[in-house]
Parts: sequence; structure tokens; C-alpha cells
Amino acid sequence: MDALLRFTRAIDSMNERFGVIATWLVLLACLLSAGNAAVRYGINEFLVLGQDFAFLHALTTGIGWYGNHANAFLEAQWYMFTGMVLLGGPYTLKVNEHVRVDLFYGMVSERTRTWIDLIGTILFLLPICVILIYFTWPWFLESWRIGEQSSNAGGLTRWPVKLLLPVGFALMALQGVSELIKRCAALTGRYRLEYAYEKPLQ
Amino acid sequence: MIHFVRDNMAPLMFAGLVVFMLIGYPAAFSLAAVGLFFAFFGIQYGLIGSDFLGNLTYQLYGIISNDLLLAIPFFTFMGAILERCGLAEDLLDSIGQLFGPVRGGLSYAVIFVGAILGAITGTVAASVIAMGVISVPVMMKYGYSTRHTMGVIAASGTITQLIPPSLVLVVLADQLGRSVGDMYAGAIGPSIIQVALFCAWVAIVSVVWPKDVPALPLEARTLSGWPLLRKSMRGIIPSLGLIFLVLGTIFLGLATPTEAGAMGAVGSLALAAFNRTLTRPLVYQGMATTMRITAMVVYILIGARTFSLVFQGVGGKVWIETMLTSLPGGTVGFLVFVNIFVFVIAFFLDFFEIAFIIIPLLAPAADKLGIDLIWFGVLICANIQTSFMHPPFGFALFYLRSIAPPSVKTSDIYWGAIPWVFLQVILVVILIFWPQSVTYWIDHTKSVNPDLKIDIPQLDSPLPPLDFSDPPARK
Repeated sequence: MDALLRFTRAIDSMNERFGVIATWLVLLACLLSAGNAAVRYGINEFLVLGQDFAFLHALTTGIGWYGNHANAFLEAQWYMFTGMVLLGGPYTLKVNEHVRVDLFYGMVSERTRTWIDLIGTILFLLPICVILIYFTWPWFLESWRIGEQSSNAGGLTRWPVKLLLPVGFALMALQGVSELIKRCAALTGRYRLEYAYEKPLQ
Repeated sequence: MIHFVRDNMAPLMFAGLVVFMLIGYPAAFSLAAVGLFFAFFGIQYGLIGSDFLGNLTYQLYGIISNDLLLAIPFFTFMGAILERCGLAEDLLDSIGQLFGPVRGGLSYAVIFVGAILGAITGTVAASVIAMGVISVPVMMKYGYSTRHTMGVIAASGTITQLIPPSLVLVVLADQLGRSVGDMYAGAIGPSIIQVALFCAWVAIVSVVWPKDVPALPLEARTLSGWPLLRKSMRGIIPSLGLIFLVLGTIFLGLATPTEAGAMGAVGSLALAAFNRTLTRPLVYQGMATTMRITAMVVYILIGARTFSLVFQGVGGKVWIETMLTSLPGGTVGFLVFVNIFVFVIAFFLDFFEIAFIIIPLLAPAADKLGIDLIWFGVLICANIQTSFMHPPFGFALFYLRSIAPPSVKTSDIYWGAIPWVFLQVILVVILIFWPQSVTYWIDHTKSVNPDLKIDIPQLDSPLPPLDFSDPPARK
């Protein structure tokens, strides 16, 4: 059992790190999206100004470069969004913040809740993760094989975001296994669950 | 037995949904599990092909590449920053002083500040917590009744749901396949009616139970004249700036709702910096909360898509549609039924679950009856708003409980909320019988957005080649 609990600690700390990445992606995506909107709106004014003032030349060149890659920046937004969700999801499971219908769950004892989590992980979470990996992995492979590009001019390569899907579900499955072990240990009194269930803020 | 199961797959699946959800395992996975479980039977009985679940990949890709869903983290992040940046304090303090001499003045102030915060951000938690922390002590100190105080704060916090740029409206627009801009325009009228209803109620209270809402005593009015005006401006000008940054850019067509959310978030960071409340822990906390909420919500959507894919595959869509379109009373009968249904289900499901599970089931039937989906969406939005308020599960009440002083009894919070829930029900009734209150503000010269729900797979034919390269541009 100790070896298993060590295993859960390894998974937990790995997903915690991915959680940190996902957290920073929030700010990055936000700045990028706001920047995209601002530049797109300001772009013409700058180009007109740039014709008259030589010292703005560097700036107009920069904007021209941005213009050629605008689709890449737009697509990077939802790549980051994907990262937020798929890399952050397992951490959210770890801190027990996936929302539940707690009509029944809220009334029963701690022990019953642990049992519900245990059975739910085996019957609900793990199968769905396996199925989703099963379907998304070949999809990624195909995209990787043909070097799929965005259909927008200057867009991004597609395989990284398609890779995030199976990877995210695999991380979720691993976190599920970790939660499973922790619940088992908790039932035999060898572990104290860290995150009691509480209503999520929204 | 087998025949019975095969012929009634859709109703059985719906029952399965209820049972699986009630167990209390995280909704995202319960939903997906219902889908998988019934997909297994569906394949067994030949209702759907064995490679049917392969559609899931397209569904997933549709979710992650959906530009509108990006608005969820942006608006949440904005709310998380605004909650702690001191804007609400400034506003409440100055507007409270402004209205102070009137009976019920503090209540009006809370309603107006709720509306202003609502026009800036799209999340309820930010408004309720920020206003509760500041107003509860003040209102109790000057003799407002506890129940009234609790009710007015919870209710004014939830106005955020309806006033653009509400996150709820973004998600509903996505689910109904309508443009967010039209959805926002449609919500303007109802928002005004709601604020008016709330103010009218405060006026009634101040006449019937004047002791509940006393005017501020003279010694509490510390500011007047120029200093008061300056202080008011300090709160109002940045608010107007933010409102323009978010709403103005959307209505002028300069930015998509998603980008407007991002700019609003950056704007609120700037505002926090201006107020000297911008610290690293504040930003990181905001980011972390946002990430967890986003992951949670999108996982629910993934689960809901798995469910509805299979549900439609086994004929659920037709089942629901025939059931709903054959309700007595035509359009009004349908609307009344749907609203009562949503009102009741909102006791058990939170907003995102309603939007992702229930709305896709109702929308096709509404469309078939010739109901304007914008009107329908705004109506549902006003209705769901009550779910934040009704005891004992309303989120707004939880937030309020978490910040109210211990001397406030939980039962006071519950009783205080009830009159306001009735006001919201009145709003829903007004909207049902007076659709012009919604449609009046929508610009009808614009062509109707043709891109209906982008992610309904054509289930009649096997695996159509869906083009998910990039969704058509939306406003």
C-alpha cells in the first residue's frame, strides 16, 4: 500500500505542475486575445501614420509581420484554451472541484461519499477516458503523419492541439487511478482525504 | 423485454440520466457514462452503428476550437479580479451617500451598483461577494432589517446574469446557435424592467414597512457637495470606461464577445493597479480559480456532448420534440411548461448543466413552434437567474452566507430571498406575454445569423464528413 501511495504522490505532483501551466495559460490567453483585438483595430491607423514618419518604419514592418501571422495568433488563443481545460482538468479533479449534483451526495456520510467516488471512478471516469483516448489517439497520429496545417493562411500546425486531447484524457485517467488508490486507503484508514467536498464557487 | 427496451430507448436513457446524475459523482463523468452505457445497448440492438462513437472526436474538436467558449475564462478572470480590486467599494460608498437621505436609499444604491457591476462583468460571485462584504455591515448598522438586507444584496448580485455582457447569455447564444450581439441586445429591455421591478419593491417596502429601510441619519452623511461628487466620479468613471471597453466594443462591432471579455479582464487588471490593489497573489489566485472553473465547465460540456450524441442517435430528439410540440396551448403552453420545468430543475442543476444538457433538448422544439430563439434564450436566462436565489441551493445565497456576519441567521437569508424570487418570476411572466420587451432592442435590419448550431452531427447518414476547419465568423 505504501508503494501505491507513493505512486499517487507522483501522479499528484505531476498533475499539479500541469495545473500551474494551465493556470498561466489563462493570463497568456487573455493578454493575447486583448492584444489581437487592439492591434486589429489600430492596425490601419498605424500603417497610414507609418507612411509619413520614417521612425515608425520599424513599427509598420512589425505590424506587417503580425498581419501575415494574424491567423496564427488567433488560433493560439484556442490552443491555449485547450491547454487550460485538458491540462487543468486532472488538477481540478485532484482538488475535488468538478461540480456534482449533491442532492443525495450532500446528505450521506463521509464514508458513503468515499464509496461513491470509488465506484464512480471505476465505472464512469476510467471507461470514458479510455474510450476518448481510443478515439483521439489515431486522430492525432493521422494529423502528425500528414503534417496537417490549419486551413487558414498563416495558421498553426494542427497536431499539437490534437495531441493535447489524448494526453489530457490520459492525465485525467492517471489522476482517476490516484484518486482511486487514495479512496481505498481512506476506507482502510491508512489515508486522510485532503479535499473534502464543498460547493464550488462559480 | 428486448422489444420494450429497444422501442423506448430514449425515455429509458433520460431516466438513466436522472439516476446517474443523482448518484453524486462529478456531473461531467456521470453524463459521459450515461452516454457510453446506452451507446452499448444502442449498438447491441442495432439502433446505431458500431462506429457511431467515432463522432465524438468531431464533437471534441468542435468544443476546443469554439471561439465563444473562450469567453468563459475571460469573463471569469475579469470577475475574479474585480471582486477584490476595490471598485465596488468606491461605488457603493459614494452612491450610498448620494441616495442616503431617502428612505431605502442604501437598497437603491445596492441595486444600482449591482446593475453597474453587471454591465461590467459577467459573473454573479464577483457582484454578490463584493457588495455583501461592504454593504451588509453598513446596512445593519443603520437599522435595515436583516432579511431585507440579505434579499436585496443577493438579488442585485444576480442581475449580472441578465445584464450584458453576461456569461450566461454567451453560453446560451452558443447553445441556441444565435449571435451573441443579438442576445445582448435582446437582454437590454428585460434588464431595465428588472431593475425597475426591484426599485419598485424597495419603494413598496419603504411605504409599508418603513422601519425596515430607514434613511441614513445625518451624522452618517459625511460627504456632500464637491467631495461627494468627486468620490462618486472616482467610482463611476472607471466603471463607464470598463463598460465601454466590454459592451461598447461588442455593440460597435469592434471586437468579438470573446475579445471584449479579454479586454475587460486586462482593463480590470489596470483598474486594480490604479487602485493599488494589484498584487501577485491576487492575480495568481484569480488565474487559478479561473482555470479550475473553466476546466470544470468544459468537462461538463464534453460529458453533455457524449450524452446528447448518443441520445440523438437512439431517437431522443424526435421523442422530446413530439412530446413538447404536442403540449396543449400551443406556443404559450409550451413556454409555460418549459419555464416551470427549468424553474424546478434549477433547484438541482447549476446553470452550466442546464445550458449544456437541457437547452439542446428544448431548442429544436422551440424552433419548430416558430419561437424566436433570442426571445427564448433571454427568457430562459431570466428564469435561470432564480436558480441563484432560491433556497436552499442558490449559489448567491451560499456566497452571502460565506461573508455575512455570524449574527445573521441562515433562515434570515432564505426568507429574505423569497420576495425577490417572486419579483424574478414576475419578470419571466412579463417576458412571456410581452415578447416585444426583448425583440424591440434587436436590430432587425441585420440579416439573421445563418450559422445554426455548428455541432449537430447529421445522424441520419453514417459519419458525414464534417468540416470543422474553422467556424464561420460570428459577431
